[in-house]
Amino acid sequence: MYSFNYQKAQSVAQAGAALTRSDASRVISGGMTLIPSLKHRLIQVDELIDITGLPGWRDIRVEEHQLWVGAGATHQSVSRHSEVRTFSNGLSELAGMIGDPQVRARGTIGGSVANNDPAADYPAAVLGLNATIKTQKREIVADDFFLGMFSTALASDEIIEGLRFNKPLKSAYAKFRHAATGYAMAGVFVAQISKGQWRVAVTGATDCVCRWQEAEAAAGTVPKDLRFAHDNVLDDIHAPAAYRTHLVHILYAQAVSHLA
Amino acid sequence: MSQISLNINGHVHNVEVEDRALLADVLRDNLKLTGTHVGCDTSQCGCCTILMNGDAVKSCSMLAVQANGAQITTIEGLADGAILHPIQVAFSNCHALQCGFCTPGMIMATAGLLANNPQPTDAQIHEGLAGNLCRCTGYINIVESVKQAAKVMQEKQA
Amino acid sequence: MNARFTPSRQEDLSLITGKGHFTADHNYPGMLHAYVIRSMHAHAHIKHLNLDAVRAYPGVRWVACAEDLKALGAGTIVNAMTAKGKEGEEQTLALMPLLAEGTVRFVGQPVAMVFAISALCAQDAAELAEIEYEALEASVDPEKTTLLSSVQLHANAPRNVSLHFASGDAAQVNAAFAKATYASQLRVLSQRLMGVPMEPRAVVAIHDADAGITTVHTPHQGILGMRNFLAMASGAAPESLRIDANDVGGSFGLRAGPYTEHATLVLAARHLGCAVSWVGSRSEIFLSDWHGRALILNGEIALDAEGHILAIRFKDRVDLGAYNCMMSTFIGTRNLSITMGGVYQIPALYMESEVVYTNTTPVSAYRGAGRPDIAYAIERLVDFAAHEHGFDPVVLRRKNFISESAFPYKTSNGSTIDTCLSEKLLDRALEISKYATFEERRAQSLSQGKYRGIGLSTFLEASGAGTAPKDQAWGEFNANGYLYVYGVTGPSGQGHSTSFASIIEKALGWPADRVRYEAGKANQKLLGNGTGGSRSLYGAGSAILAMCHQMLESIKPHAAKKLGVEIAQVHFENGVWLANGLSLSTAQVIDDLANEEKTSLNALGEASSGATYPNGCHIAEVEINPSTGETHLIHYYAVDDLGQVISPQLVRGQVHGGVVQGWGQAFCEQVVYDKQGQLLTGSFMDYAMPRAGCVPHLTNETYEVRTQLNLLGSKGVGESGCTGSLPALANAVMSALRPYGIDQMDMPFTGPKIWAALQKNKL
Repeated sequence: MYSFNYQKAQSVAQAGAALTRSDASRVISGGMTLIPSLKHRLIQVDELIDITGLPGWRDIRVEEHQLWVGAGATHQSVSRHSEVRTFSNGLSELAGMIGDPQVRARGTIGGSVANNDPAADYPAAVLGLNATIKTQKREIVADDFFLGMFSTALASDEIIEGLRFNKPLKSAYAKFRHAATGYAMAGVFVAQISKGQWRVAVTGATDCVCRWQEAEAAAGTVPKDLRFAHDNVLDDIHAPAAYRTHLVHILYAQAVSHLA
Repeated sequence: MSQISLNINGHVHNVEVEDRALLADVLRDNLKLTGTHVGCDTSQCGCCTILMNGDAVKSCSMLAVQANGAQITTIEGLADGAILHPIQVAFSNCHALQCGFCTPGMIMATAGLLANNPQPTDAQIHEGLAGNLCRCTGYINIVESVKQAAKVMQEKQA
Repeated sequence: MNARFTPSRQEDLSLITGKGHFTADHNYPGMLHAYVIRSMHAHAHIKHLNLDAVRAYPGVRWVACAEDLKALGAGTIVNAMTAKGKEGEEQTLALMPLLAEGTVRFVGQPVAMVFAISALCAQDAAELAEIEYEALEASVDPEKTTLLSSVQLHANAPRNVSLHFASGDAAQVNAAFAKATYASQLRVLSQRLMGVPMEPRAVVAIHDADAGITTVHTPHQGILGMRNFLAMASGAAPESLRIDANDVGGSFGLRAGPYTEHATLVLAARHLGCAVSWVGSRSEIFLSDWHGRALILNGEIALDAEGHILAIRFKDRVDLGAYNCMMSTFIGTRNLSITMGGVYQIPALYMESEVVYTNTTPVSAYRGAGRPDIAYAIERLVDFAAHEHGFDPVVLRRKNFISESAFPYKTSNGSTIDTCLSEKLLDRALEISKYATFEERRAQSLSQGKYRGIGLSTFLEASGAGTAPKDQAWGEFNANGYLYVYGVTGPSGQGHSTSFASIIEKALGWPADRVRYEAGKANQKLLGNGTGGSRSLYGAGSAILAMCHQMLESIKPHAAKKLGVEIAQVHFENGVWLANGLSLSTAQVIDDLANEEKTSLNALGEASSGATYPNGCHIAEVEINPSTGETHLIHYYAVDDLGQVISPQLVRGQVHGGVVQGWGQAFCEQVVYDKQGQLLTGSFMDYAMPRAGCVPHLTNETYEVRTQLNLLGSKGVGESGCTGSLPALANAVMSALRPYGIDQMDMPFTGPKIWAALQKNKL
């Protein structure tokens, strides 16, 4: 990789200020996406600011019916946390399905959400539960956060501090692993938010995580004529669009069948 | 350049490293611990797996500076002096290695798995080794050796 | 060492403790590091190449391009074999230059090499290279590359054909088809693959100017072969090269000879007067390790009314890639013909192969090198014909097995198979797989909405005939109590040291843990074959056995003396020396001898061992989930005749490894190029590999039929797993899908592919 200067952030404000100052500064969390990109010289940075050491950065706690997950919480810590399991079955099981054990020990929710890889798992839970993303500047609800492939509402100098989730009545996540990468070839998060309100988020199958309104209207049932329609279903050497679309249907049914 | 301190296999090493240096390269080149191997450049083969603060991680996907202050165990540190670790013994007994290139990473991933789940089912073993590739053995004997190691380690606990 | 721990292989202790010596582990003082500048175009003229800025970069010591290497006497990448064409014509050759000369013909082709104080420095400097390419059209499809409309890669190869080969009797075959009651035709693809040994290709070279010897550390398949080929490629005299016998992280056929980096580093080490190192990144290895397979096999079978096979005919298309490198001709000629009758008694065989160029990475030998591919094609063809014409696939096979009384059996295209007891292997495989009750299990799966299938392969393998005149092994009793044995064959995970030690313990009564095999000693002048074609065990092993027999003769007088009897009164039985009710172990006889006496026991063993014919019956049972198209392998059964088995554990390991590589080809691996010749599967992100749990249950048995073809009685082991698994797995998938109107599909049988086929047939 190209040379850069590495430093540990003293505070979120200090890290944010560095990002404001220069386009060639980046923050690093787990590094599971950033390090490979740097290794392949896909990006070049002058300054790399490590935000994982900040106090409270990895906190996971339930406070007043809301779950706070610090941006630096690893996938492993989220998946093993007993309070997360009771708070949202779907969120807990999703975290345990990300990548492989070594990736889960390092990768963080903040990093994953900020990157918004179309095949990442977390965006499905974040959108599925309409979590609030808190940065050092403001709070953004999930519905307003994921804008497109690798694109979010974050300003270039905005750093995620953590996410706040509201407790669903039930939730579940079903994923079909990409044979090569282990990412989601498709992943569906289903949540019953309240008695009459459902959310269904789909990742992996299109260019960006999205909600599936028709499935939400099905309110936890699996109607025979339910159809996933989207303009940008991914089509590549691994799977044609028709297959991914089909996966969305069966994963939705799978998730519904193990809602908890 | 940065000065970092790494506790590796119980010894503290103070090294000066380039900020862009990967942990795997610092272990191999600066500290001459060549047991940790580099098998790919997309973080998928797991040959570089070590234990960091008890967790199995891929040392090729970390900067050495990110590991500053950490407690690291490499394959060279798994045995207790001359006494091999049950995982190492099991790998040999079960013929779970042929060329040996993936073996250090496979053993360390196993150590990470068993530390968190001392009696894994076959499915959990497959999942626990999902980050490690082997081209020689076909994995069948590797899975067997994890089970054997788990059994021995449980007996030792009892 | 733990008090009671004995490693199951000699090789294990260093490998499980991180003390292995792989090439990239070597570090010499003042060592320079190399970086290869590679073409990003599949086909282009190099209009302009200016490396001045690279040379001027701080830390750079040398930058080489084609002219620099030529000036130092370099050759080209080696092409190990040529063959005559159908009409007796010479093969057209296009040899690959070490560094590109004016034209690049595949993405990843080396153009220049940078030597600097660190690998990162060399990579940084390389970015300053000014290279202007004039992109040309690329010819990527091996079927279309011979069309007149395709761009021609090499001036001397019109229609991009290197060779049009034929073997067998066309007239006889045509006559058989003319009178056949039934005929079937099936085209199968053995898709292009990557071998992916886990240790990335690497070279470290250091030159001793006083001795005039360059030592080369690199993964290889035998020091002699690598040395001789490296001499050809670099222009260095063979005696001036010493290949180190370091640990090798897998080879699978890809490491029998040098690549650009080997030859260039030898020249660089001499030119620069210091050690030089190159370690490949996995991404560049995907582009530049020889690829494997890439064959299109078009088979036809003719049957009489009772189902006897009258003839088999093949028309094959062999994709060489951009240049003739190493073993590609071997694959497209010998290996597609010698076993093309499989285990069947077929009176007429004929094949033609067109060996063609494309703008892709050159192809060479990968585990089986054409033989798993042809076994796949035959067994699919037999299965297909059975179903097409209403024969039971097991019955049809039995009817056509070479009968026991026919051995040694000369096939109609010239191979002589010593023995192949297919009937017995089939019976055993059917028994352990509970084949007879499969339909019950199929019904049970269907009640859960899953499609179950069972597939079998009865296959023939042919191990390497060897190119060296004989195999030799030299044994020395060392003062330190060890027996050192030197040979040529180079291990890359097979456990040669352990196997050879086993042979010696059995034959000589000398303890296995006091044997050390070394694949290569400095200045040794032994003859022998490298590792390849699964012949190390019986090739080198037979030489070692011969060595043991000689040693027994020399040890006898000493044993007699120690036992206090005449030489005639002592005899050797079951590992001990016996006389008058007294016994001594070999170690007891030898350990007390003076060093000169020990030296007198040293011996050279020799043996000439040609090809052997391992064979087997493999059965796979699968279950397909129609809603995702994913195939779950429920159980795999392998019954193999590998001749005399020396180490059951090592044999099982080889079969496991081969079967799982076959699984990879069957279900997830494939190299994909786009129309412009860009590699779309350039990393593990896109090239899916088998992972733990893919083959969860494998039952393997051996059925030992000692062969008379070599002293040891063993047959080749290493490649059988691949040869048996491709057809067994494919036939199993077809068995699951046939009820739904699908009777042919090409590998890899991915979820999307199976799902799409099921969808198509639903409509």
